[in-house]
Amino acid sequence: MQAYFEKTLLPLLRGDGGEAEFIGFDGQTLSLRFRGECSKCGVLPRCAAWCEAKILRDTGKTVRIAFTRQKPYFWDT
Amino acid sequence: MAHIKVVRRSMRPEDYIRLRYGWLKRYRYRDMTPLSPVMIRNARQTGENSFEFYEDEPYELKPGDLYYTPDGSIFFTVEADLAGVDRSRPLYLFYQTTGEVIVKVNGHWAGGVDPNRELVDLTPYLTDGTLHIEMLGFNRSKPDDERNPDTMAKRGCRQVFDGLFLCRVDENVRALCYDLELLTDMLGAEIFDEDLRAFLIRETDAALNCIDFDDVRDADVSAARRYVEEHIYGSTTYKGSGRVAMVAHSHLDIAYYWRRIHTVQKNLRTVLLQMRLMDKYPEFTYCHTQPYLYETLRDHYPEVFAELTEKVRAGRFEPVGAMYVEPDCNIPNAESLIRQCLYGQTFYEEAFGFTVDSCWLPDVFGNSAILPQILKKSGVDYFVSNKMSTWNDTNRFPHNSFRWRGLDGTEVYASVPPTHFISWNEPSGVAENWAAYQDKNTGVETLQMFGYGDGGSGATEEMIELMRRFDRLPGMPKTRHVTAKTYLHENFTPDKPLSVWDGELYLEMHRGTFTTKAKLKDYNRRLEEKFRAAELVSLFGESKGDYPAGTLRRLYKKFLLQQFHDILPGSHITPVFEDAVRDLEEIEAGLDAILRGDGAPTDLTGFTRDGCEFLPDETGPATRRGVRGRFVRIHAEPFGAAKEIPAEADDWLREENGNWIVSGQDGSPVLTVRFAPDGAIDSLQSGGCEYAAEGFNRLRLFDDRPGFYDAWDILPDYEEKALDLTLTRPLALTLQTPDFAEFTAAQATNSSRITRVLRLFRSENRIETEVRADWQEDHKLLKVGFPTPLRATSLVTDTSAGFLRRPLHKNTSWEQARFEVCSHKYFVIDAERRGIAVYNDGKYGVGATENGVSLSLLRATERPDPTADRGAHCFCYAIEPLTGPFLASDVPEKALRYNSPLLPVGPLRVPAFLTRLAGTGVLSLSAAKLSEDGRRLILRLTELKGETRTLPLDRTVTVCDLLERPVSVTDKLEIRPFEIITLATDR
Repeated sequence: MQAYFEKTLLPLLRGDGGEAEFIGFDGQTLSLRFRGECSKCGVLPRCAAWCEAKILRDTGKTVRIAFTRQKPYFWDT
Repeated sequence: MAHIKVVRRSMRPEDYIRLRYGWLKRYRYRDMTPLSPVMIRNARQTGENSFEFYEDEPYELKPGDLYYTPDGSIFFTVEADLAGVDRSRPLYLFYQTTGEVIVKVNGHWAGGVDPNRELVDLTPYLTDGTLHIEMLGFNRSKPDDERNPDTMAKRGCRQVFDGLFLCRVDENVRALCYDLELLTDMLGAEIFDEDLRAFLIRETDAALNCIDFDDVRDADVSAARRYVEEHIYGSTTYKGSGRVAMVAHSHLDIAYYWRRIHTVQKNLRTVLLQMRLMDKYPEFTYCHTQPYLYETLRDHYPEVFAELTEKVRAGRFEPVGAMYVEPDCNIPNAESLIRQCLYGQTFYEEAFGFTVDSCWLPDVFGNSAILPQILKKSGVDYFVSNKMSTWNDTNRFPHNSFRWRGLDGTEVYASVPPTHFISWNEPSGVAENWAAYQDKNTGVETLQMFGYGDGGSGATEEMIELMRRFDRLPGMPKTRHVTAKTYLHENFTPDKPLSVWDGELYLEMHRGTFTTKAKLKDYNRRLEEKFRAAELVSLFGESKGDYPAGTLRRLYKKFLLQQFHDILPGSHITPVFEDAVRDLEEIEAGLDAILRGDGAPTDLTGFTRDGCEFLPDETGPATRRGVRGRFVRIHAEPFGAAKEIPAEADDWLREENGNWIVSGQDGSPVLTVRFAPDGAIDSLQSGGCEYAAEGFNRLRLFDDRPGFYDAWDILPDYEEKALDLTLTRPLALTLQTPDFAEFTAAQATNSSRITRVLRLFRSENRIETEVRADWQEDHKLLKVGFPTPLRATSLVTDTSAGFLRRPLHKNTSWEQARFEVCSHKYFVIDAERRGIAVYNDGKYGVGATENGVSLSLLRATERPDPTADRGAHCFCYAIEPLTGPFLASDVPEKALRYNSPLLPVGPLRVPAFLTRLAGTGVLSLSAAKLSEDGRRLILRLTELKGETRTLPLDRTVTVCDLLERPVSVTDKLEIRPFEIITLATDR
């Protein structure tokens, strides 16, 4: 899952100025930390849901994404 | 008794005006008819005009559906039968989106929609009763060229589709909306006098009272417009002052928060939008920079380029900006900036039959003092930039219209308008421009650039409609909409009493861009030298075939893209960096293929070489920058093969009481150095003088959090929070040969490991330091400091075509602001009779503070790229104590040699004329190439030391400008300080 995430999903997020770190995967839940532009995105849950659908389409696995946000220091108020 | 502030809590008249303006906007569009089915295919862009689709077949997108994907594009198609639709009246497509959308209607390029535009006029394309719409959309979550609050609030990768509609526009309401856009801006803008604002509030309120907002009728709207016309536009009470020239443009970063591949469509959309405005508004003209953008349009959308060419011929669409892209103008060397002009101007000449005389760089982060000469000799008389006037953080730049004098004394006219280059023609913005304009007494108009930018798109209908009303607005400066050429030519004339700004246009901001993304800087330096070598070898290499003009031009143009002002400075997102590295690897491979050889190691600088040089050798005892090899003392004549000089004795280095003493060829000491355990130098003596103070050559780590402009900036107080490095391996001698010795030390933080290898060389007083870092910091700045007991008064910095001498004191705010400056291959801490030269192989940031001079090595920034600079780095710098004055030294030549290694390409068949010319020691050969027409040999020679000389030649040569056009014929060169000379001769 980590390899899939870094090879497939991460480049898409980075393409729009976003960033995400793989935190862990327990077989059902993919834990991510969103950074960069993603960290302040108002529609991030929609994006996470799309990523879940893409994982299902690409791998056949039903995965839930649990995420936290880490804003850059200058937005972290 | 406590003070009680009186606050008006009820609605103020100006608030009620704005409220009603918002209500009125709802009546702009009528007869909204949904279009369906809207069929889409999701895709991800993979190339300049290639896409990878997520679905095999289109599917229907319905209002309320989520659409767009991260980094995604969408292809839309819509079919409609207009059989029952009245096509005698204008019909529009209405679409509100956060995306950037290109629209084709019935096979015609109709324009676009984006966050600032929601209408496309379909009328010109409705030749029969059918409607076929094709759209290509690219969504972005980080545009910064919009002001639509609705779409700004919706930014993000997944959007809700609100539908596509056919509609009519109520032109009467829309016209009144334009009036109100002007008036609501003015009545709240303090730049206008209070009595004028009171007048506008009163009369605008009265105009809106003509309308019953419970029943908005056309006649009432007309009455309101008449009221505005008669009572506001017709008023002669409030006179404005000033003259403002309005020039439409769009700043388009070729990579920034988007990849270069996306810029192809951003440019297409921008060009289409502006051409459609030209169709509607006969007076509208627009200027567009960067020949590279025109090239992509020509290559991928030839029919649009053909239409653009017609509009260029008609004088409506105006190519400006001689440079191929808008490059960074600190870091690229002179030859790169020359090629920006050469390839840019050549494209304009080939595509449109003319070159341009403007350099249009609104957003570039400061401009080197070598630029005026390069521009003037590239046919450019006018320089335009907004940056210093609007972004300086310490001093107000004192001029907006002036003459800019460069390092060599060449002057160009300069326009640095007082307000931002992205503006949308609000009256307050225009008035603020005039108010802030500092050269009112010159008779030169001020320049207002208008149009959305950064991501392109340019002017809108609203901007033009507002501009049409300016001259009837009370209190406004007199404005006129002109081309850039008209503005520059009519205003900047010899009779105008313009001030002179002498020297670099230093930007008092974005000082971190000299250092951020170290890998790109490293590539830049190395490839600039490899281009020089590859052209030289292609001309004079013994085993070379035909000159690979096409290959070199293709590689050079790709290289020039990497110097764009949001690529090379490091201010971009992760994929832009990945693209750049991929491109640079490809360029280097292409150059290496040209430079590949098995000949003798050969000099390519044109200077005599004597000293220890590194030669790759798989059996060698050392590793330098990842390459196995050995240092050996050599001698090479200019362009000649190196001859190794065997060591006659191996006692060149000895230790006495902790001091390492390097002996010269006569056995006397040339250098005595005492190292600290961390690789710092506690004592550095040469010629009987001490050069090092406490902390010399010590790595220094600082907290580096400059805020929102994270990758761009270094703050003036960065030294206040220094952090410790832990010593993990004390310095020790690790290698000694008859020609060199290596000492190794290592330091670490919790995250990073830094090993330094310090090298001493037989008979030399130079110390090289190689830094090998596993850099995993966040928000840190790594520097190496050079505090000295010398009474150093100035810092000599390398511009690549001469040097700048900067005072080291901080007496004035101008000097205080220059605490971090750009320097190329060397800098010298200058103490008049002595100094310390520091050479580097890919660094550009030099600190100059009250605490001394430092070389900036690495940063670890977070925005725009959270991964920036983390990873492995390896680079070298060398320190040389100067035992005499800098001006009497050969530091510039040594710096060239330090960056131009011996290459196994020899021998070269360099013409004797060129060898003699180089051997005079007066000029440096900065480039030798085949002329663009393939018929002549072009030699570029640069005076590096600030001397005036006359150099007789043994033949007659043609002196050319930088576009390789003949200027004069001569048999002697009259050389001015820091002059760049281009000669053409037969091959």
